[in-house]
Amino acid sequence: MRGWRTLLAKDWKLIRRNRLLLSVLIVYPFLIMGVIGAAFQESGRPVPVGLVNLDDPGREGVLCVVLDSPDAGRTEGEVRRRAYGYGECTSEEQALADLEAGKFNLVIAREDGRVGGRRLYGALMDSESLQSLVMELEDSATEARFYTSFREAADSLAGMEGGVLLALPHRLHPSLGESLWVGGESYDALRLIREFSGDVVDLEIFPGLEEARGTLREGRVDAVVVLPPGFVHRLKTLEKVAEVNVILDQSNLVKAEFAETGIRGFFSRVTEEVVEEKMRAVVAGLYVLVSGGDFFGTPIIGLERIREDLADLYVALSDRPELGIKVQEGIDLADMVIEDIEKAADYLRGTALPVDLRISSVAGRPLAAKDAVVPALIVLSMLWTGVLCGAVLMVLEEEEGMRARLRLTPAGPLAMVTAKLILASGVVILQSLVMLLLAVAVFRTFASGLWISLLIIAVSSLSFIGIGQMLAAFARQVAGAVIMSVLVTFPLIFLTGAIFPLTQMPAFMRGIARASPPTYALDALSGVMLRGEGLAGVFWEIMVLLGFGATLLFAGSLLSGRKSQ
Amino acid sequence: MSSKSSLISLRGLSRDFDGLRALGGIDLDVDRGETFGLIGPNGAGKTTLIRILTGLISPTKGEMLVEGKKLDPRHRAYRRRIGLVPQETALYGRLTAGENLVLLARLHGLDRGKAAFRAKELLAWAGLEEHADREARYLSRGMQQRLSLAMGMVHDPEIVFLDEPTSGLDPEARSRVWDLVEKLSGEGKTVFLATHNLEEADRLCDRLAILFRGEIREQGTPEQIKNLLGRDRLELGLAEGALGDLSEICGRLGLSWRKEGRIFVITGPDLPGKLPSLVSRLTGSLYHLHYREVTLEDAFLRFMKELEN
Repeated sequence: MRGWRTLLAKDWKLIRRNRLLLSVLIVYPFLIMGVIGAAFQESGRPVPVGLVNLDDPGREGVLCVVLDSPDAGRTEGEVRRRAYGYGECTSEEQALADLEAGKFNLVIAREDGRVGGRRLYGALMDSESLQSLVMELEDSATEARFYTSFREAADSLAGMEGGVLLALPHRLHPSLGESLWVGGESYDALRLIREFSGDVVDLEIFPGLEEARGTLREGRVDAVVVLPPGFVHRLKTLEKVAEVNVILDQSNLVKAEFAETGIRGFFSRVTEEVVEEKMRAVVAGLYVLVSGGDFFGTPIIGLERIREDLADLYVALSDRPELGIKVQEGIDLADMVIEDIEKAADYLRGTALPVDLRISSVAGRPLAAKDAVVPALIVLSMLWTGVLCGAVLMVLEEEEGMRARLRLTPAGPLAMVTAKLILASGVVILQSLVMLLLAVAVFRTFASGLWISLLIIAVSSLSFIGIGQMLAAFARQVAGAVIMSVLVTFPLIFLTGAIFPLTQMPAFMRGIARASPPTYALDALSGVMLRGEGLAGVFWEIMVLLGFGATLLFAGSLLSGRKSQ
Repeated sequence: MSSKSSLISLRGLSRDFDGLRALGGIDLDVDRGETFGLIGPNGAGKTTLIRILTGLISPTKGEMLVEGKKLDPRHRAYRRRIGLVPQETALYGRLTAGENLVLLARLHGLDRGKAAFRAKELLAWAGLEEHADREARYLSRGMQQRLSLAMGMVHDPEIVFLDEPTSGLDPEARSRVWDLVEKLSGEGKTVFLATHNLEEADRLCDRLAILFRGEIREQGTPEQIKNLLGRDRLELGLAEGALGDLSEICGRLGLSWRKEGRIFVITGPDLPGKLPSLVSRLTGSLYHLHYREVTLEDAFLRFMKELEN
């Protein structure tokens, strides 16, 4: 053990004098802590959520209701019976035109096995009949979905056994725009959501589903909530649960999870408040039944008073025992009712919540975790391999001492950089392709737009290799290049939003994430593979990635040239 | 020597790195076909000068003339005429000796067949035929250096820049590299050799320049440098009491003497001619005699000492 102090002092001195080692061992953990700390410092920020309020009576245009109804077959007979105008429609366009022109105020579409296709017809009936028909059909349906686009609704009807589509002017839908009282104030649907979602979600109101979905795809909101027509009516009557459609971007599981939790949270508050308010009213009413007073606008004598009167009567009839027995029965009944009312009041406090959230994906189909993880895995492996390949291949010459020798050949530095770029891109693209094929063919994950995905992979690889080539300008040995690649790659992975949602980060961290190529690569790849985006949908991301690629590769060459001077 | 008759001439060449002067006002002429040596201690600026001459870095000031014409050393035509053997062993360790040569030949524009032929030629030239298929990292340090030399020759350059080609080699390996450099000289190539091995410079170079702290301090043939900077010396061991005789005879012959430990060191002009007279006078008290001819190393070390003082 002799000399350990000297050796310890030596090792410490060596670490202090080796800047790279010092960074990796001592400074880097603080840096990462700083990055993560900065990202989390404002965690608990409101989740940006889009809202489409179909419970608004002032809405223009057509409302489409797709019902999964066991009575779908009887719909046509009901319509014929109530309508004073009726006719077949030859096409969806014509049906829609007739609806808008007022020739019909209801258009119905249904898959009909007997005619081997879709039956499409229109009807004209008075508003009352129309509303009562729609209400009956919605009530009898096992599921109701609402759309603002006829095309979208018609698509969702395809292959739906027992499905029926009703299209009507929005304003004619029954029970629109009702209000309820909470805490002594009147709330319509929008005010109710705004009031109770305040610190949980950041609401952006959209006129239609298409715009909201588009914004969700672009990543400007993390979810879309569609309030159904009659939302407040359902809350008021508690006859049936109000089905609220929530569309999530499940291509990013972390983001979807955050959004769903936030939305569930504020709906719980809404329903708790509403139910509590109603329960308070009902319980108060029940107590009025017992003790007397104002029973929903009618002054009544309470059961307790009736019981007391009966007790007095019983005493007064002490000399008439046969009548006294009957009065005693009345007193017993009053006691029993009073006890039951008190039990009922307690029971009502535990009534189920009247809102049901129906979660769906922006991709139009639910995505499993294994589906959603594929783009993230591909981007992260591309980032790792691209940065490492770019850096290591550039430093290889330096380490072998061949850099000067190659520079003197007619091939020149541009050929050298190009060769390395092609090789590194080849490695990255091949690796990603294998991962993609394995995911789809072996693990049966869902992925669409494979050709566009490949284009995104190719374009992204340029940026990642560019980062590596820039790093290479600061390293002289492969080991140094590897360490630097790790140091840079780790925070970039964090900034993609695959681990922590970008919308939960403070503005300056979001700014940094937006200046990082993997963020765009993940956005574009998830968009194409999971959200079904086409080339136009990811055109901006591809352009940004190309811009990053060109800039980083140019900067890398520039720095590399400077290093050799 | 005028720049008109020189192959390469440097005029007032300087290079700064981050404000620090690495080379300052270099004036130099290298003739066609000669082996020109640049000697100097570590950090004198030898590699920097070679990097400027090969166009790998640019000078901060000054100009370079090739055959009397001002030239940017990054010019493609000039680069075709030069070959470089860098200071560190520059080769791909995981490629075989043959593959390293073929790679460079291909990059210099030779087609596949010609590149293979040239590689074979150079392997024979460097005495590495038997090691053509061995990965370069498994070759000995001396073989690697010979391969590196061959790689610098792959496009048959007219001017070859060698940056400390025998640094870190054992005497046998060093000697084999020297043979190759002499071969180059025999083939009529102009060789620019940077070294701090003075034996190497003495053996290989036609002319020399001493570079010290970024400046050329002396130039000339090795003999001129030796004469300029050093002298032969006679070392004598004498019995006690002979000091008077030594002093008297040295004074008479015009020689000077000094004592270094127990040895008397005699220097002066025409020392070999005066040696018999000196020895005959001191015969009775002389027990040790050693005549040392001055080497380039002696001269250089002495010169360095003078410069530092």
